[in-house]
Amino acid sequence: MGKVILLAEDDEDNRDLVQFVLMRGKLDVEVIVAENGKQAVEMAKTHKPNLILMDMQMPVMDGWTAVPLIKAEPKTRDIPVIAFTAQAKPEDRARTREIGCVEHYTKPMDPEELLALIQKYINP
Amino acid sequence: MAKQCLILADKLLKESDFENARQEVAKAQKLDPTNPYAYAFLDRIAYFEEQKKKGSPAPEKTPATAAPPKKESPPVQAKPPVSHQQQQVAAKPASPQKPEPRPVAEPGKPDQPQQKEQAKPETSPVQPPPVKTEPVRPPAEEKPRPPVPPPPKKQPVESAVEASRSVIRDVMSSRSAGTKSPPSASTPGIGDVLQQISEAAHQLAPNAPKGNIESKLDEMRRQIEMLTNSLDQERKVREEINQQQLKGAVKQFRSALEKAWANGAPKDEGMKLLQDLAISLGITEDVLHTLNREVKLDMYSHAVKEVVSKQKLLRNSSRTLEWLRKVYQVSLDEYLEYESKFLMDLVADQYKGTILLVSGDTKTTLEVGQKLKSTGYAVVGATSPENALEKIEKINPHFILCDMEFSQGYLSGIKFLHVLRANSKFNYIPFILLCEKNEMTNIQSSELRPTEGCVEKPVELEQLNAVMNEKLTAFRQYLSSI
Repeated sequence: MGKVILLAEDDEDNRDLVQFVLMRGKLDVEVIVAENGKQAVEMAKTHKPNLILMDMQMPVMDGWTAVPLIKAEPKTRDIPVIAFTAQAKPEDRARTREIGCVEHYTKPMDPEELLALIQKYINP
Repeated sequence: MAKQCLILADKLLKESDFENARQEVAKAQKLDPTNPYAYAFLDRIAYFEEQKKKGSPAPEKTPATAAPPKKESPPVQAKPPVSHQQQQVAAKPASPQKPEPRPVAEPGKPDQPQQKEQAKPETSPVQPPPVKTEPVRPPAEEKPRPPVPPPPKKQPVESAVEASRSVIRDVMSSRSAGTKSPPSASTPGIGDVLQQISEAAHQLAPNAPKGNIESKLDEMRRQIEMLTNSLDQERKVREEINQQQLKGAVKQFRSALEKAWANGAPKDEGMKLLQDLAISLGITEDVLHTLNREVKLDMYSHAVKEVVSKQKLLRNSSRTLEWLRKVYQVSLDEYLEYESKFLMDLVADQYKGTILLVSGDTKTTLEVGQKLKSTGYAVVGATSPENALEKIEKINPHFILCDMEFSQGYLSGIKFLHVLRANSKFNYIPFILLCEKNEMTNIQSSELRPTEGCVEKPVELEQLNAVMNEKLTAFRQYLSSI
């Protein structure tokens, strides 16, 4: 198995769909899942994934809080984080950049587009 | 009297007076035609007469008068020239009742050796008994021997045995090999072999009792039938095992294919592994190809269903389905070939809209609700028009189905309809009343709008669909007119 992707997403359907797309994308990646921001921070430390796909609106801890924590942690600060959110306003895009996300991907998703984006950070 | 004639004939024979001896024998025969010794005497007379003609000593040289036999000619070599019966006759001329004086034997001399001496020419080589010149009636107890059969012909038996061995070898080799190949054309069948053996046996011993041959043939037939039956059973078992093994192999291979195709077309190395697995399981290229195609389309169909069920989360369903077609390497031809199947799969789970079903009857709610759900609608139930009014704001239904009468509350179906007509937000939602048969005429005669209708209870899905389509068309026309 090659690279590891951490998917932080509270909605089960969304989690399933992202996993469905990633498994069929021939990326040769392992997907690990966190259901909220807090879990995502912990799993980032323990698993050191190659990429984090972060939903910005989640219970317990949202992505806006979790991403700065990940970026503050020396072990995880270099892991690229893609904001995966329904918020598509320009100010939202700007804000995700500010907290350290490398990309802002807006839901609903397009499988080929999402795969191309992930490919860019998995196999640069 | 006949005996005396024979005694006299014996004396005459010793004097080489063959003619008179014969006459005496003839007399004896006349006197006692059944006397066997008379016939033996005739033979004896003929023999000595012939010997005399050849120059042999006459029988008058009895041991008593003749010179003793030379030592160098052992008596064992000297055999009486008469047959065994004749010898017995000569040795025992008298009847068993009473010992008669021997006509030629001298007192004190052993009788039989004397007879042998007489019968045997001392120096002459052993001669076979002469062929009877006169018809001699055989003794009464003597029976003619059956003709000696010719030596057995072994060739038919050998060929029959060889043929039977060939069949048995065939049977045994097919048993050991477990093949289903039929016997070669040159190999005779069991029936042929049995026929051959039977013919050979009859050629061998045409006069032999048929019972023995038949019983042996029956035994052989039984053994061959037992062997054939056990072979057939073994073949059946082997065929079943082969079928089970093939089924198992196909099942195993299909399972491997499903794993490989779960996330789309397998990579090259994955396909190579699958081909190796197919070879190891004895699956042919054709079966591999067919199974591969089946599994691929099955997996694609499942993936399409999954995507369609989550289409709300997708930006563009069509683009996603096209991406999926590439992932599963489904060609356009294959897609078109299976299009109806895919569409059916899609339609089965496709969400068509939300229906508010207002009924106080639990049975109606369950039956109609189930039928609508199976065709892709989401169904929200309400037990009364008042209950429906509470829910309608939240669910914003695409259709309303409502009973005519309710035991609870004060609103009937018609009144509920009028309430909705009064509300600009819901007044054009397609509305169908579920009526009893006797209510239908009244409802139809009333002034229902094009988006409103009624269906008779119990509800038939086909009829309901027809009315719903009619009302949807009217609703579209209303929308286009706005």
